[in-house]
Amino acid sequence: MNKIFIAAASIVTETDLPSARLGQRFGRLDLQSQLALLAVASLQIDFAKFPPDRLGICLVASAGSLTTDLNFWNGRSGVGGPSPTLFAYTLPSAAVGEIAIHFGLTGPDLCFVGDGTELITEAVDLIRSDKVDGCLCICGEVISTEVAKIISGPSAATACALFLTRAALSPDSRELREFDRDIKPLCALLCAAKSAS
Amino acid sequence: MQISTHELKSKVIESLKLQDITPEQIDDDAPLFGTGLGLDSIDALELVVLLEKDYGIVIKDIEEGRPAFRSVKTLAEFIAAKRPQ
Repeated sequence: MNKIFIAAASIVTETDLPSARLGQRFGRLDLQSQLALLAVASLQIDFAKFPPDRLGICLVASAGSLTTDLNFWNGRSGVGGPSPTLFAYTLPSAAVGEIAIHFGLTGPDLCFVGDGTELITEAVDLIRSDKVDGCLCICGEVISTEVAKIISGPSAATACALFLTRAALSPDSRELREFDRDIKPLCALLCAAKSAS
Repeated sequence: MQISTHELKSKVIESLKLQDITPEQIDDDAPLFGTGLGLDSIDALELVVLLEKDYGIVIKDIEEGRPAFRSVKTLAEFIAAKRPQ
């Protein structure tokens, strides 16, 4: 079986957003798209080295777009109605589009809602089936306090990202192992190791 | 009643959540869409909401509003003409 490498990993939280410099329109994005885009930018990968149609994007949104959906719904009673901009983000896959637009990527993409355990497997399949040379894996967790109450879970505003490639891009690249299946602990492990070194 | 283009630019920046741009950097006559400020169709809808929320102007016919959205100057003139007294 062909080897797959992790070229870079990142984790971002809401506190990282004020220092993000990702263009004039970054503020328009919903929180999930902002965090996902910042997580990918934080990988510091030069995507221009790849043909744009040979890079895939696989994203999991743990709570879908519930937080944005609710923000949109809550705006319906105000003068002028809810924000038209927000409407565009009432889809879990909106962040995939923003990443593709920002980095000019035109390869295949996938979006899941749930715990994200299939994410890396799907990305690996894309690479091994030769549809792409590299694949971004992103996990977004945006759960407002209002949504947290509804789903009886904790609130969250984080995103993590991995970049998987067919070949090692640098000496820092690490081979993906069979048991590397869950993106969140994997990103945490890699980012902690990088901070310690 | 005339409205300040500076105030309008501030509202546009806030409403459209534009980053790294100040009212002083927006030319009164520069096109809002395409070139100039580079706004798009979603921004147009957001500006329609802004006019209703902040100035009480409801645009029912898009053809009526189209000339108003050419620039900050034309938008300010439109608001001044249509704003309820």
